[in-house]
Parts: sequence; C-alpha cells; structure tokens
Amino acid sequence: MYSIQKIIKLFALCLGVLLLSGAATELAWAHGERSQEPYLRTRTVQYYDVHYDKQTVKVNEEFTLVGRFRLMEDWPDAVSLPETVFLSAYSPGPMITRVESYLNGMPARQSFSKLELGRDYEFKLVMKGRVPGRHHIHPLLSIKGSGPLVGPGQWIEVTGNKADYVLPVTTMNGVQIDNLEFYGISRALKWYGVWIALAAFWLLFWLVRPLLLPRWIALNKGREDVLISTTDITVGVILGVVVVAISFGGYIYAKQEYPYVVPLQAGTNKVEPLPKTKGDVEVKVLKANYDVPGRAMHVTARMTNHGNEPVTILEFATANLRFVNQQGPGADKAVSADYPRDLVARGGLGLSDQKPLMPGETRDIKFEASDALWEVERLVSFLTDVDSKFGGLLFFMDKSGKRVLTEIGGPILPTFTAL
Amino acid sequence: MNTETLHHPSGAAAGSTHAHDTVESVSGLSPKALHFSRIFELFVVAAIIMLFAGAIHLHVLLLAGDWDMFLDWKDRQYWPLLSPVVMIMFPAALQGIFWTYFRLPIGATVGATCLMLAVSISRPASFMWWTDYPLNLVLPAQMIAGAIVLDVFLLVFRNALFTAVFGGFAFAFLFYPSNYAIFAPFYVPVSHQGMMASMADLIGYVYPRSATPEYIRIIERGTLRTFGDSASWVSALFGGFICIFMHYAWWYLGIAMSSMKFLPNNKKVMAMMGTKADA
Repeated sequence: MYSIQKIIKLFALCLGVLLLSGAATELAWAHGERSQEPYLRTRTVQYYDVHYDKQTVKVNEEFTLVGRFRLMEDWPDAVSLPETVFLSAYSPGPMITRVESYLNGMPARQSFSKLELGRDYEFKLVMKGRVPGRHHIHPLLSIKGSGPLVGPGQWIEVTGNKADYVLPVTTMNGVQIDNLEFYGISRALKWYGVWIALAAFWLLFWLVRPLLLPRWIALNKGREDVLISTTDITVGVILGVVVVAISFGGYIYAKQEYPYVVPLQAGTNKVEPLPKTKGDVEVKVLKANYDVPGRAMHVTARMTNHGNEPVTILEFATANLRFVNQQGPGADKAVSADYPRDLVARGGLGLSDQKPLMPGETRDIKFEASDALWEVERLVSFLTDVDSKFGGLLFFMDKSGKRVLTEIGGPILPTFTAL
Repeated sequence: MNTETLHHPSGAAAGSTHAHDTVESVSGLSPKALHFSRIFELFVVAAIIMLFAGAIHLHVLLLAGDWDMFLDWKDRQYWPLLSPVVMIMFPAALQGIFWTYFRLPIGATVGATCLMLAVSISRPASFMWWTDYPLNLVLPAQMIAGAIVLDVFLLVFRNALFTAVFGGFAFAFLFYPSNYAIFAPFYVPVSHQGMMASMADLIGYVYPRSATPEYIRIIERGTLRTFGDSASWVSALFGGFICIFMHYAWWYLGIAMSSMKFLPNNKKVMAMMGTKADA
C-alpha cells in the first residue's frame, strides 16, 4: 500500500530526474545529418564542388549556393531510385528564403523525374537572408521514398532586422505586391471575422437562454413545444439563407475580383544529366578494410590510366568528407575557403605510391583515409549495416590541372580490436 | 425514448400545457436551482470549448493534415473533397448529443467555432511566432458556413436522417464557395523563373519547409481535370455525397459515446473490481 508521502517522494524524484536531464541537454544546431545511416551518405548522392558565395548576409541580401552531385552507380537496394526528386536547401525553418533554384540550368521550383544513376548534375540555389542569426544551411536532394540526402552544411550569418524583410512580387496581371510575406492575410482575417460573427450570433441566440438542465428536464417531461419556438425556426431559416447568400455571393464577387486564376501547379519536369566525362582512369577496388580502433580506411585498387597525361590521386571524397592528398598537384587549392572546415580531414589522404600513373599504365595503389571524422560523422556502423560496402569519389589531377573523377566502391571488411 | 424526432406532447405524459409555459416553468426548478444551473452551464460551456477545440483540432490535423495546414495544398480536387469529409465528423457527433439530450440545434456550429478558435491560436503560435513562417502559408479553411446550415436543417427537419441527407450534403457543398472568397487571391498567376505559378505555389516555394519536398503534395492528380474549370464543383458534389453517410455515422457515434452503460452487479464483476462477492 502506497502512502501519500511515498507518492509525493516518487513524484519529486521523477521531477528531479526530468530537470537534471533537461539541464544536461545541449541545444541542437544542425539537422541530424549524422544520424542517417552511412550507406545513405556514402552510396547515394555524392556532393562535390560545393561553394557558398557569402557566409555573412544582411536581411534581404541574396547569396548563392552552387555545386554538383554524382548519383552513385552502386545505389543501395534499400533506397528508392531517384525517380522523383526535389532540390532544396536544408535550413532551420525559413530563416532564409528561396529566391530561385536550378538543376542543370532548369528551374527547380517543381520536382524532377527520373534522374540517372552514375551521372552528374549541377545545382544552383539563390537564397535571401530573412531572420537574423547564425544558421546552418545545406544543399538538399529529397528523393521520393527515401527522404532527404544533404550536402555539406555551412554556417550563414544573417544580420539586420527581420521586420525589414520584403519580397515584392508582380503578378502576371501586372499587379504589384509590395511584400509576399503579408499578401492576402488581411482579406482572410476579414472573412474569418464575418463567419465568426455569424457563428457567434447563432450560438448566443441559444446560449442566453436556459441551456442544459432545464431543457433536459423539459424534454424528459415531453414538453418539446417549449424548447423550440416558431421564432427560433424563423431566425434559423433566415440565418441559413444569409449564410448561403454570403457563401455564393462571396464566391461570385471573388470570381469577378480575380478573373484570372490558375490551379496549383503540379507535376514533374525532366532534366538531362551533365555530359558524361571521358573515363580516363579506370579504378577497380581489390581490397578495402576499415581499421576500427585506428579510424582509418585502407583501400587497395587497381588503377589504369586510359588518358594521354600522367595523373596523380588528389582526393577521396565520401559523405561530404574530403581526404586530400597533400602531396598531389594543386592540393593547396583543392578545398576552397568557403568549404566547411569540419568536413575536411586534417590527416589528408595517404598513398602507398605518389608516383603519377602514366598513360596506359596499370598499377595497384593503396590509399589510406585516416581521421577521427569517420567516428565524429558516425560513418562507421559495420555492426548494423546490412551490406557492408563503401562508396565515394576518387579525384585525379594531371599536370595541366585537368581533373578526372571516378566513382569507387565495393565490399569493406572491418578490423576490430582483438578481444 | 425516441430522440430523433420532436415529440408532440399528448395525454398524461405531457402533463398539462399552457400557452405561456417557459422552459424554466416547465422544468419545475426553483429560482435558486435555476441560478446554480446557470453557473453549472457556464462551467460546461468552458469545458466544451477547451475539450472540443483540442479534440477537433487534433482530429483535423491528423485526417485533413496538410490540405488544411498549407496554402499550396489547397487544390481544386482533394481539398474541397477531403476537408469537409473530415471536418463534418465531430460537428455531427456534437449535433447528435446536443439535439438528443437538450434539443439544441447548435452542435455543428459549436464544433466549427471550436476548430476556428483552435486554429486561431495554433497557426500564429506554432508557425508565425515559434518557427517564423508567414501566416499566409498556413491560413486555415473555415467550416462555419456549412455548420450553420447543417444546424438550420436539423432545426427545420428535426430528424437525423433528413439532416444527414440535406444538411450533410450542404455542409460539404458550401465548403468550396464559402472558402473561395478567402483563398482566391492566392490563385492569381505569377511568372517565376520563366514558369507559371500560382501565388500559393510561390509562397510555398519561397519559405523552405526542409522536410516537405514539393513532390509530397497530393494535389491535382488523376483525370478529374477532364472537367476543366469545374473540377472543384465535382469534388464538392462528391464530398457532399460522402458527408451524408459520414454525418449519419458520427451522429450515432456521438450519441453512443455520450451514453452511460452499466455492468450488471454480479459476482464476477464484483470480483474484477476487487470487492468480495460474499461481503
């Protein structure tokens, strides 16, 4: 038998635990991209060449996010194919607004259908600062049936006053709207007011009279004649006629007021991928393993240079992480200043052999991508993954600065700590 | 007790009738009892507003969802069809309860007003003040027009079946025209990136909802657009047809949910309740 004191103590204990857990909670600033399974991030959409033209903007100031992505050939079975996709920006609500968006130069306001695996696409997002603050913004490709797949996120500082935000629009009828933010609101509120007033009249008409107990008793006494009078019916019918008249009158008036209206625009668009680049370097993964305690991926691959110039491995990129070969040509310029630094591996990319791959040459090269980022970004879940495979892009560079990228991937074997 | 049609008092059951009888006099309650009855009614009204504002809001959120939530979901086909079908449920149940026990033809209007009250709080609070979305993106539809007409049909017919057939149909059929005056400006065309869009499309595009990609909208699908500009009216008619059955079902659901049932006080029940049967 619980006493009141025990119950109060138990309640106080629960409250204390709740308060402590609340105090121990950190604020979440990003979008939970690390919570996505590694196979989603390493084997579906590989973003590259992502650039933010500004990292500080004023309210109303536009900034642009451009980049490319490769849809991986070795697409996981568990993920829906990119039959219907939508390009967007991942932001913490409308802190920024979308002004324009393009996929391979085509307007991306609506969704696209049937994107092709193994092909590259170029995107451009033009956005505008709206709410002051420091916001984490990502490019985002939503795939129907799979959900959002995000690109590298960058912090954008919006300064100024939110009240200054405006978005003027001109309709196709030539009507100038000063600010889309407040468009149509006052009209809607007036109409809500009309309907609420009519409802209030009808409710008060009944509520001012005895409402519950007296009516219930009278009803049980069989005296329904005193509950609803002829006046009640007359008022009700008049109100009904008024409501119908206002409904259709308002409809007709609105039709005359806005003679040119269009339905919501639906449907998808088709977009061609970027022209296929000549596969100058062929890469076949021979062996791949991930050293769990060492936080390092080791890949041995047979590489053949089909091009006319010697090439050197410059970078391995996967899930927005970048492992750059510091000794490769152009390594100092490989990562632009606007790329999020938290996604660039400090250790870079280690190669077993730094000698350039000569035209026509085939050689087995081992590379090592070693960094704590594998763990920080939660990209290692070999104990829960259903098909332990990896994927990524390998970038090569020749002497003239021409870059070649090749998709690589295959099974990967974890090396656990000896028990 | 037949609760569907108005009883005309007759014989001993009706007692003696007088032309000047009022509800108060017929009830037989003393002035003091009437006073406390009124206070009790105020509490009941407050409870009904809070309970049903929350319940109807949750119900519409779950079943009408984005069609009622977002401007760029309010299309010609699904919005005039699904919204009234979902919205008539609680008003019909309330109508059944208020009419059956009190002969009050206000149940539907109470439901519609409760929903309007709830969205008047939740839309600005959740979207404007908390997450910085503009209010025009989340303007709700209203069902007050249909609800008043539904109550008037009940008042005139005094019969659940006829109210369902005529009132239920009118409820859905009035939904589109009574809301069109609110939303017409949002169907004005604009040119955006060389493509035509309605203002609603543009507002939906400009303010990013990261987890709501464009393709998730269930709008303007199927071949109903064969009817061209009349698609909305076809949807409204079909919505009216569905609402007839929906009203009738929820009327009785409301009555069932407001009825008290007692278990027989036998040994088994007593044992279940922890009472010794032989005590």
